[in-house]
Amino acid sequence: MSAPAMILPRQAVATSAAGPAPAQPFRLAAGGLVDRTATLDFTFDGRRYTGHPGDTLASALLANGVRLVGRSFKYHRPRGILSSGPEEPNALVELRSGARREPNTRATMAELFAGLEARSQNRWPSLRFDLMGVNQLVAPILAAGFYYKTFMWPAAFWETVYEPLIRRAAGLGRAAGEPDPDHYEKATLHCDVLVTGAGPAGLMAALAAARAGARVVLCEEDVRLGGRLLAERRTLDGLPAPDWLRGVEAELRAMPDCRILTRTTVFGAFDGACGAVERVSDHLATPPEFQPRQRLWRIVAGRQVLAAGSIERPLVFGGNDRPGIMLAGAVRSYLNRFGVAAGRRAVVFTNNDDAACTVADLAAAGVAVAALVDMRREVSPEIRRIAEAAGASLLTDAAVTRVRGRTALRGVEVTDGAGRRHALDCDLLAMSGGWSPSLHLASHHGGKAAWNEARATFLPPEQLPPGMAVAGAANGDLLLAECLAAGARAGAAAAQATGFRPAPPATPSVDGESTASAPFWWVRGGRGKAFVDFQNDVGVEDVALANREGFRSVEHLKRYTTLGMATDQGKTSNANGVALLAELSGRTIAGTGTTTFRPPYTPVAIGALAGHHRGKAFRPVRRTPTHDWAAEQGAVFVEAGPWLRAQYFPRPGESDWLETVTREARTVREAVGLCDVTTLGKIDIQGPDAATFLERVYINTWKALPVGRARYGVMLREDGMVMDDGTTARLAEDRFVMTTTTVNAVRVSQHLEFCHQWLWPELDVQMISVTEQWAQIAVAGPRSRAVLERVVDAPFDIGNDAFPHMACAALTVCGGIKARLFRLSFSGEMAYEIAVPARFGDALARRLMEAGAPFGITPYGTEALGVLRIEKGHVAGNELTGQTTAADLGLGRMMSRKKDFIGRAMAQRPGLTDPARPVLVGLRPVDRAARLRGGAHLLPRGAESTAAHDQGYLTSVAFSPALGHWIGLGLLVRGRERMGEIVRAHDPVRGGDLEVEVVPPVFVDPEGARLHV
Amino acid sequence: MSDTALAARSPLAGLLRPGRQGARGDLPGVVVQERTGLQIVSLAARKGQEVPLMAAVRAAWGIDLPTTPRRVGDARLAFVWSGPSQWLAVATDWPGDLEAALRAHLGGLGSLTDQGDGRVVLRVRGPHARDALAKGMAIDLHPRAFQPGDVAATLAAHIGVQIWQLDEAPTYEMAAFRSTAGSLCDWIVAASAEYGVEIVEPG
Repeated sequence: MSAPAMILPRQAVATSAAGPAPAQPFRLAAGGLVDRTATLDFTFDGRRYTGHPGDTLASALLANGVRLVGRSFKYHRPRGILSSGPEEPNALVELRSGARREPNTRATMAELFAGLEARSQNRWPSLRFDLMGVNQLVAPILAAGFYYKTFMWPAAFWETVYEPLIRRAAGLGRAAGEPDPDHYEKATLHCDVLVTGAGPAGLMAALAAARAGARVVLCEEDVRLGGRLLAERRTLDGLPAPDWLRGVEAELRAMPDCRILTRTTVFGAFDGACGAVERVSDHLATPPEFQPRQRLWRIVAGRQVLAAGSIERPLVFGGNDRPGIMLAGAVRSYLNRFGVAAGRRAVVFTNNDDAACTVADLAAAGVAVAALVDMRREVSPEIRRIAEAAGASLLTDAAVTRVRGRTALRGVEVTDGAGRRHALDCDLLAMSGGWSPSLHLASHHGGKAAWNEARATFLPPEQLPPGMAVAGAANGDLLLAECLAAGARAGAAAAQATGFRPAPPATPSVDGESTASAPFWWVRGGRGKAFVDFQNDVGVEDVALANREGFRSVEHLKRYTTLGMATDQGKTSNANGVALLAELSGRTIAGTGTTTFRPPYTPVAIGALAGHHRGKAFRPVRRTPTHDWAAEQGAVFVEAGPWLRAQYFPRPGESDWLETVTREARTVREAVGLCDVTTLGKIDIQGPDAATFLERVYINTWKALPVGRARYGVMLREDGMVMDDGTTARLAEDRFVMTTTTVNAVRVSQHLEFCHQWLWPELDVQMISVTEQWAQIAVAGPRSRAVLERVVDAPFDIGNDAFPHMACAALTVCGGIKARLFRLSFSGEMAYEIAVPARFGDALARRLMEAGAPFGITPYGTEALGVLRIEKGHVAGNELTGQTTAADLGLGRMMSRKKDFIGRAMAQRPGLTDPARPVLVGLRPVDRAARLRGGAHLLPRGAESTAAHDQGYLTSVAFSPALGHWIGLGLLVRGRERMGEIVRAHDPVRGGDLEVEVVPPVFVDPEGARLHV
Repeated sequence: MSDTALAARSPLAGLLRPGRQGARGDLPGVVVQERTGLQIVSLAARKGQEVPLMAAVRAAWGIDLPTTPRRVGDARLAFVWSGPSQWLAVATDWPGDLEAALRAHLGGLGSLTDQGDGRVVLRVRGPHARDALAKGMAIDLHPRAFQPGDVAATLAAHIGVQIWQLDEAPTYEMAAFRSTAGSLCDWIVAASAEYGVEIVEPG
């Protein structure tokens, strides 16, 4: 046996940035769509190489004779480049460095740019000498399901030893681990017809639809339009394919309502829209200024044509993963599109006629073809003629049974039907098992691909996503003439369906071809591990093992062996895996079925899905009218839903939040404080039936409420649980303004609209949110009146007699600014809420601070607000959990018996009136120095700390400045009957367990005397 | 007691500074302006009063209240459909109180609510206005689908907005809740950066 006819270029001895990069020994002298007038430098594993504009990283590596590109996921086997497209399972590399480092990039999809840095993955210390390659020696125990069997005992090792071990040994690239410096965008695109794929079928579809006047979006994953036409030597209408393509592209680009998105992958067909990702700047070292790295498109189309082409299947034989073994179509692509010979001496191994084109193209490019190995017994005279012309021996009824070479292919052994063995030297094996339609998007709505026996392939499901048609190779039509005609028909039909009148599409004439194929999938009895799924290292033995162990459903096979579960989603392996399982289990392929394709078709960066919404723009922020003033005051802000609210206002010398909050709360009790309460929902309710409407949504009565008065109200959900609470003021006979809690503002609005629109459309009532219209500031404390007197315009009297607790009025402040004043108190002190049009909120806060300065006014935040309400036993979000009834919260007597209201009937269910329900109580530590913790469970003294003894929990806790110790509100079983009882507050999360006394929930001023001064 | 009126503050004070941002070039692709001098009052017909209400509006201002998502009127006073039997009256530099003027003409035919302070209104125009808006809005603004006078209630960058088109430049106005003004502007400026964006003085 002689040495291979070619010699790999000598590797440079040492990496030298200064030294010249080696020439491109595998670049053909002419041909291809690369720009040979320009040279691009790039590095792979630190070594310098050159390529040309138009190259992918894969084509440039092949041009430089680089075969070994990565190590496999599990066994660390040497791997090269298998394909020339998105299906690539082997040649996954890390691109770029630093914060821009990105793992698992398919070298076949990475466009070459000057200065590109690429590194191989999953190898240590180097690609060529990977120590983890020993995994191959222990391959028998790394078979399917090995981690379920091997790493079982002891359990203590699962997380500490086994998982880290497995993670180090198996895996792909490394994430950057730093914030992504680039930005991403999301946008929506509307069209009449979306065409996915700009191969012959897609181009004809786009032409047919766009000529009819439809708004067309044509998405092409590649940088160029043409699909397989770029990879083949074909003529259309007598023109070489590149010339024909130029004409079509020019026509499409000239049409104003046809939008062509290249470098754009449609990755999912969702309800009502498709998702696509446009790699705006992936082909550049860094994105141009103001350009995103990638843009996510949500494409809303009236109709869509899926023309995604097809993916060639590998053949399954021992050693089929050696670098140098490639898909036959990919070999043609490198020859014809990139002007690169993937080897010097080739063998072509196939079950179909199409691969003969590879023989012809290799020969035309001057690459020696040792043999055409065809698994079929008989081949056509045309195939014989091609082999003969290429000088290749034709071996029929034959198969590759052994491969030579470790990190690069050196030769193959072929066994023919008569059992004769042929040793062939080669550095390239082009294989083809036929073509599988890229039908993934067609099954994204759950339709299962259907096996077609005649074409020996899976075809798109009958149940397609709404509005989708599939054309061309994606539909199983492999002949170019069929693709062109089917694409034109589909494009015209889509235009017609969206209201246009397409002209009958004309399709170009093409040269002859044959794609006849026979269903041979794998070679029995060969030497070495035969891979089905390259990326996840799943071989024939694994599928056989799964079958033996009973994992015969394709869904079980997939999960047990991980076949098809890698980032390539089994694009090259699913069909072979199913065929193999069918054969092993004695079933038909149709009877075996296939797994479900799910979005995304290819991996999508999280950054693209987030778009603009990262960091501070993660979600919209709502700022109060006094935000800037509060920030000037040094406020610490807290998120309350989307709102940013001042949490507390630290002053110099205060050591922690508790000191600040205690000072703020004490100031309110002793002097006066102000707090922005704009975020509470406000709903303007008008109409002759407004009071009737309130009677039905609130549990208490409203008709008798006089104009100029407010009332506390509680509303239930239909199921009888408390939904929300708040005060509602009557501004006129037919006008109320309702307040809601901050977090429930939207939910209450929806509820009211639902009640009005669906339950009682007969009521003459109109409502609209005015939350944002009014800046509302609470002024609370014994000196609040004194402060407000300096703000309210004369002659309005805010004295206790003229304007008592729960009064409200429209008036003017600060010299004519229209305002609303409410005498409401959440703190338990004499207090007012003053509302002005929102644009004056900032100035009002400043004016109140000036007016209050002589009285020691302080701004207070949500923390002090909480302390004050806990001291008063007022319920808030912590108690309005959706699982509490009005009776639970001590509000049962508010439920009117004289009228009906939402939730009344269901609130009387036995489960909701059970006297053993947990109800609101106050709790204070027996040891007054002890700190209470919210969420602590309430247990009887002496009982074991188990869930069975759980009797409730602490819902809200605070340090009470008024009492000088911690207090809490809680829900306790039969709590109202247990005043004075000592129970335990058990806090297993933070490790506390202390005794607390059950007391009434109102800690401060239970008579409410302070409200009425 | 008090005798000096308070100073009004824009929700965008300090957040949207006039000037050129994003890509440089002769003409900005997008021009953004905060609208000022607006009064906005919501109007909802009382039950069964749609017909007399529309007649009253027509008699007072010669405007036919739209019953589909349209904006009818002119720069001085326009009515923007905002739901079945609901509109926003939007007036620019209206002398006096718009709510009072509406109340005087419409009496008990509709419920009126002042909303002028509750909204921030941004004007967005320029040759790339559509492209920029598409980066946060799901609706179709293509001339075949959305034309001058058309109105939509939708989301922009997850923020609820009402948008209407004024002319074929195209010029749009977006009204959003006041509290979201900062996030809305952050987004539209970021979305417009690649085309060059000019932020002009409020007006």
